Amino acid sequence: MRLLSQIATRLISYFLVIAFGLTTIFFVPRFAPNDPVEAMLAKVSSTGSFMDAAQSDALRASLTDAFGLQGSLLEQYGRFVKRVLLTGDFGPSLAMYPTPVSELIGRALPWTFGLLLSSTLIAWVLGNFVGLLAGWRPNKASSRIMEAVAITIYPIPYYILALVLSILFSYIWTVFPLTTSVHGAPWSWAFVKSVVWNSILPAASIVIVVFGWWVISVKAQTTALAEEEFIRYARLKGLSDRRIITRYILPNAILPQITFLALQIGLMFNGSIVTEILFEYPGLGHLIYTAVIQGDYNLLMGTISLSIVAVATATMIIDLIYPLLDPRIRAR
Amino acid sequence: MIEIKNLRAGYGRPDAFIPAVDDISLTIGDNEIIGIAGESGSGKSTLLRTIYGDFTGGLKLRDGSVTGHFKDPETGRPLVCESSTFQKLWWDVISYVPQGSMSVLNPIMKIEKQVTDGLPAREKRGSRQELRSRLASFLAGFGLPETVLDSYPHQLSGGMRQRVLVAIAAFVNPQLILADEPTTALDVVVQKRILLMLVEIQRRLKNTLVLVSHDLGVHYQITDRIAIAYKGKIVEVGPTDEVFSNPQHDYTKALIAALPRIGQPRQETARGAVGVIV
Repeated sequence: MRLLSQIATRLISYFLVIAFGLTTIFFVPRFAPNDPVEAMLAKVSSTGSFMDAAQSDALRASLTDAFGLQGSLLEQYGRFVKRVLLTGDFGPSLAMYPTPVSELIGRALPWTFGLLLSSTLIAWVLGNFVGLLAGWRPNKASSRIMEAVAITIYPIPYYILALVLSILFSYIWTVFPLTTSVHGAPWSWAFVKSVVWNSILPAASIVIVVFGWWVISVKAQTTALAEEEFIRYARLKGLSDRRIITRYILPNAILPQITFLALQIGLMFNGSIVTEILFEYPGLGHLIYTAVIQGDYNLLMGTISLSIVAVATATMIIDLIYPLLDPRIRAR
Repeated sequence: MIEIKNLRAGYGRPDAFIPAVDDISLTIGDNEIIGIAGESGSGKSTLLRTIYGDFTGGLKLRDGSVTGHFKDPETGRPLVCESSTFQKLWWDVISYVPQGSMSVLNPIMKIEKQVTDGLPAREKRGSRQELRSRLASFLAGFGLPETVLDSYPHQLSGGMRQRVLVAIAAFVNPQLILADEPTTALDVVVQKRILLMLVEIQRRLKNTLVLVSHDLGVHYQITDRIAIAYKGKIVEVGPTDEVFSNPQHDYTKALIAALPRIGQPRQETARGAVGVIV
C-alpha cells in the first residue's frame, strides 16, 4: 500500500513536470521576435512573384489560419492542449509546410538515437572500466597516465573537439566525409556501411569527451570506496583483488553512475545540436536548430516536448527502479 | 601456535622509522585465550596486524620474526611459516574479527553472501541448501534467526552485526582467531553475550584466540593469559588471575588501579597515573 502511494506520488509529479514544460514551450516562442507568417511571405516574395497589398493580406490571413495562429494566445493555447493531449499531433511544420512535425521528428530520431545511444554507451562502459582500474590502484603508472589523459580531455568542449577532428580527418587527412551523405538503398549493406562511416567522427567527438568525465567520476568513487572498512575487511578475508573489484567496489561505485547514465539517455532526445550542425548530421539537434532559425513554432514545440517527456520519463524510471538496485532505499 | 621473537615493526621510511612494536617477544600457545591490553597508541593493534600478516598501509617488519606453527587443514601435517606468508592462510587457518562499526560489511550484499564469500573450498563442498542450513544452525547458536541470512547490514542492529562478524570468523573453523576490539562501542549486555560466544567457540574448537582490547574488564572476564602492552613493549605477561591479583609492573598497577569499582568513593580521574612511570 505504502509502495503504491509512493508510485502514485511520483506519477503525479511526473505529469506536473511535463504539463509545466509544455506550457512554457508553448509561450516562449510566441514571445520571440520572429514571425513565421512574415517569414513565409518573405520567402514567397523572394521567389520573385509579385503580389499587391490585397493579395499579400489574403495570403497572410490564410497562412495564419493554416499555421493555427488565429485568435488570442489563450485560445491558441486551448487548441494546442486539446490537440497535443488527444492526438499527440503538433501540426504541420511551418518552415517545411505542409510536412507534419511528427514525420520530421520520426525521420530525425533514428539518426540521433543511433549516434547518441551508441556513443553514450561506449563512453560509459569504457569510462567506468578504466576509471575503476585507475581508482583501485591509484599509484600505478598506468593509472596516473589514464587520469592525466582524462583530466586533459574532459574540459574540452565537444564542439571544439568535433572541429579539430573534422579538420584533421576530413580536410588534412581525408579519411572521413566532411558532411554526412548517405547512399545506397535503405538497410542494404552499402547503406549501413555509409551510415556507420559517416557517424564515426561525430561519435568520436562525443565519446572522447564524455569518456573523460566518466573516468574522473568513477575513479573518485573507487578511490573513496577503496578506503572503506568493508573493503579492508574483504581483503583481510583473503578475497582476491578481482573479486573485491567485481563484487564489492563495482556494485557500490556503479550506483550513482547509473543515475547519470539515465539522465544522459533522457537528454539524448535534444540531439547534440552543435555536433549535428558541424557534420550536417540529419538528427534532432539539426532539426531544433532549423526550427529556431526559421521561427517554426510547431517544429520547435514538437522537438522540445519530446525532449521534456524523455528527460522526465528517464528520471522517473530511475526513481522507480533505484530501490531494486540499492537495498538501502527499498521501501521498508 | 605463534612464536614472536624480538619483533620490531612500525611505519615510515628506513631513515625515519617509527616503531609501533618495539622488541616484543611473546609465545602464544595452543588452545588458549590470550588478551593483549593497553592504552591507545601502545602498539597492540599493530602487534595484532603483524601476527595476522597484514602488511599494508605502510606497516613494515624491521627486525625479529613471527613464526606460526599450524596444521595443514587438508592433510593434518604440521605447517610452519612466517607471518609474511600468512596471507595464504587467511580465512582458512587464521581468521579475524574486526572492530564492529557500521561500515565493516558491504552495504549492498546480503549477509549470506558475505559469510560464504571467502570460505575455503573444503567448507563449500556439498549443495548450497546444505551450506545454508549449516549456516542457519550455526547462526542460531549466536541467537540469530535464519532471516538474518537474507538481510542487508543496515537492517541489523549493531549487536547483531557484531555477532555476524564473529560468526563469519568462526564458521571456517580456524586454528587461530584474532579479534581486534570486537566489543568496543557495544553496550555491556551485548558485549557479555559476544564474549561468552567467543569463549564457547574457543572451547569447542580448542583453537587459539587472541583478543585485543583496551577494556580490562573484558580481559578479566574471558582471557586465560594477559599481556600488557605499553609504549610498543610488552611489560608484563602472565595468567590473567595472577596479573590482576598481583601486578608486577608499575604500569599494570596503574591500569588496574584506574578501574572503577563498586563501593569505591568518587575520586578525581586517574589522570597522571600513567605519567608517574614515564
